[in-house]
Amino acid sequence: MKALVRDSVAISVKEMKQLARDPVSLILTVMFPIILIGIFIVISSAFSAPSYDIPVVVADLDGSPASKVLLDKITTTPLVRVTELLQTEEQAVRHVETGDATGAVIIPQGFGEALAHGRAFIVIQTDNSKITAPQIIQISVNSDVQTLLEESGAQFGVKAATVDVIVRPISGRPPSGDTILPGFLGMITILGAFDDAVNAITRERDRGTFPRLTLSPTSLISIYSGKMLATVFLTALRTSLMLIIFVLTGLVIRGNLILIYLTTSLIAMFTLAMGLALSSRIRSSATLTVLEIAATFPLFQLAGTTASPEILASGGRAIARALPWTYGNEALRRVIYLGLGLDAISGDLLVLFVSTLILLPIATFLSKRTM
Amino acid sequence: MPASKFLRDALAVTANELRQFSRNRTAIVISLFVLPFFFTVSLGGAQGGAGAHFSPTATVPMAFVDNDLSTASARLWQMLASSGDFSALVQGYREENAIALLGTGKIYAAIVVPQGFEASLHNNQTAKILLYTDDGEPGLGDQISSTLSGDVENFDPNVEVQPVRTAGIAGVQIIQKGVVFSGFSVGLTIVLAVVQIFAAFYEIAGGIAKEREEGTYARMILSPVALGSIMLGKTLYDLILSAVRTFIVLGLAVYAFGARPNTDLGTLLFLSLMLALLTMGFGFLVAALKLGTRAVVIIEFFLILFLFAFSGFIIDKELLRGISRTISTLLPWAYGIDALKRTILIGQPLLSLGTDLSALVAGLLLFYAAAYILFNLLRERLAT
Repeated sequence: MKALVRDSVAISVKEMKQLARDPVSLILTVMFPIILIGIFIVISSAFSAPSYDIPVVVADLDGSPASKVLLDKITTTPLVRVTELLQTEEQAVRHVETGDATGAVIIPQGFGEALAHGRAFIVIQTDNSKITAPQIIQISVNSDVQTLLEESGAQFGVKAATVDVIVRPISGRPPSGDTILPGFLGMITILGAFDDAVNAITRERDRGTFPRLTLSPTSLISIYSGKMLATVFLTALRTSLMLIIFVLTGLVIRGNLILIYLTTSLIAMFTLAMGLALSSRIRSSATLTVLEIAATFPLFQLAGTTASPEILASGGRAIARALPWTYGNEALRRVIYLGLGLDAISGDLLVLFVSTLILLPIATFLSKRTM
Repeated sequence: MPASKFLRDALAVTANELRQFSRNRTAIVISLFVLPFFFTVSLGGAQGGAGAHFSPTATVPMAFVDNDLSTASARLWQMLASSGDFSALVQGYREENAIALLGTGKIYAAIVVPQGFEASLHNNQTAKILLYTDDGEPGLGDQISSTLSGDVENFDPNVEVQPVRTAGIAGVQIIQKGVVFSGFSVGLTIVLAVVQIFAAFYEIAGGIAKEREEGTYARMILSPVALGSIMLGKTLYDLILSAVRTFIVLGLAVYAFGARPNTDLGTLLFLSLMLALLTMGFGFLVAALKLGTRAVVIIEFFLILFLFAFSGFIIDKELLRGISRTISTLLPWAYGIDALKRTILIGQPLLSLGTDLSALVAGLLLFYAAAYILFNLLRERLAT
């Protein structure tokens, strides 16, 4: 047992030394999370910006005082930018069809009169090939109509709304684009640990040092444990870096920091075990990295990084629930956002731990067979 | 050099590449199986099929707390439970117990109808519903809130059977025109582009980097084959693979997930191959910088991430501001992705997409020309 621990530590120190001597890998280990999170902060800020410049055309076919008030609301809203006022519905629709505008708002003839009877309608034509812009246009126009009714409703004899939904998130945080940040901590942990696996085995194979290592008196379990120890250390470094970035961007971490480190360590250990198992079949480091990248993008969706697995279709939800990473991301969110303790995330951590315990011996067995 | 020799040499390079590819089992699996299947099936699993009606909130467990115990609140429950959007509504919780359960994963939201709900409606006032959400789940709260708001917009407490949902606010109905596309159909454009970009870049830049590392690149440029023939040969080889990948992705999307692209196969193939060609040009450019396979893979990762952020994959260009908008305008891939969306989803004719096609052609010419010049300038450096 003593020899196992000593050998594992020796291997771990060797891994760290090799990393320190390889400037490209070292820079990547540090820069990779920063670049990655930088890109996703751009994405998050795009979704939570207070104003947009979505081009919209308006055709006011009514010209009544009510339609003029509505037109005024639409032109002053920060979400859309009215690029042109048109005379006919056909012209407005044509602008959307040709891609000159993302949306068209048509205020039909008789709008003002119909509003007085509570039966008015307006038409929105949107370019639904866009992903989020049509929803923002709809939200914007809805809000403009609501404001029209609130401010001038009495004048037109209609009430604002029948039922109002008041949303109260349990964390008490204001709704913002940072809801995906804990998921990205999980994702960066996965990518980092996978890269560690590539460094640990396949690159050693490429250099020809892996057979020498296995021929030394160190046991294969010690070799793998040492590599895992190095990964846990590097994961702690990456986690610290990410948490600093999170705090600098204004995210409040509610839960226990030790639980965050524990969760990222378990995610990293499972990922490394997966990497070791895959590296027994895929010998080239470049191929393994390509596979890692290929797996990353579907994982954004399927492992609950950007959206809750609960809102996926049944097939996607089943896949998400079969992936141990989903539980890691869930645990991170519960600790970071909701400030929950070990009792709330113990099930998630158990899934990760048991999955690693199952996968690691399989990886060792496969490695032995293909050595 | 006569054109016939140039073309013969290019075809010889293509044949050589295809032979090498057919001998590399891992390359075949990744290029023709893992990438197209993995991405398309993941999309289908997450979004459901193209034709299937799928309400994201339908099976999410939620508590319905009725503190009003009135006819109106009972009708509200009835309306929500039968809407198809809230099939896992559970009644019987007390408000504090329901809120305490949020965050545990047992329920994800609590819809609370407060006392005085019916009275407000009868007095012609706006009645309120409280929605407590587990915001530890990204996107879930917003999804439930928008679905619930939509469902209650036309709630009428005086009718037993509620009207079919139409968007709008009491007094003004908002009619939304324009075809609504399923998440799968929108995702298909992204998957097709990602698969082509991902594979084409690695096959060209990674392939040349590997040849350089193995020493075959030096031998190839010392042969009498012109550099242009080598580039053309490799391009033809990768175009064949790209065409096969396009058919695999589209075949899966149409036959397994029910996608119905609004354009013809020729347009789809053309745009898909244009995106692949553009990426190949960029791949040649990167390969001309004498980078190793590892560096190529890292660049590939950041290229895809970059495109995700700035090319309209997940954020519409219209939503980007400042420098992000400028980057998006300069990226030729953004135009290809826009063209794919406008043809696959809207069915716009290919020839009407002049700006997109011009940007694509300009981008690929620029990449190929820059790569050719660099390959020529660094010929000796690349061979050592």
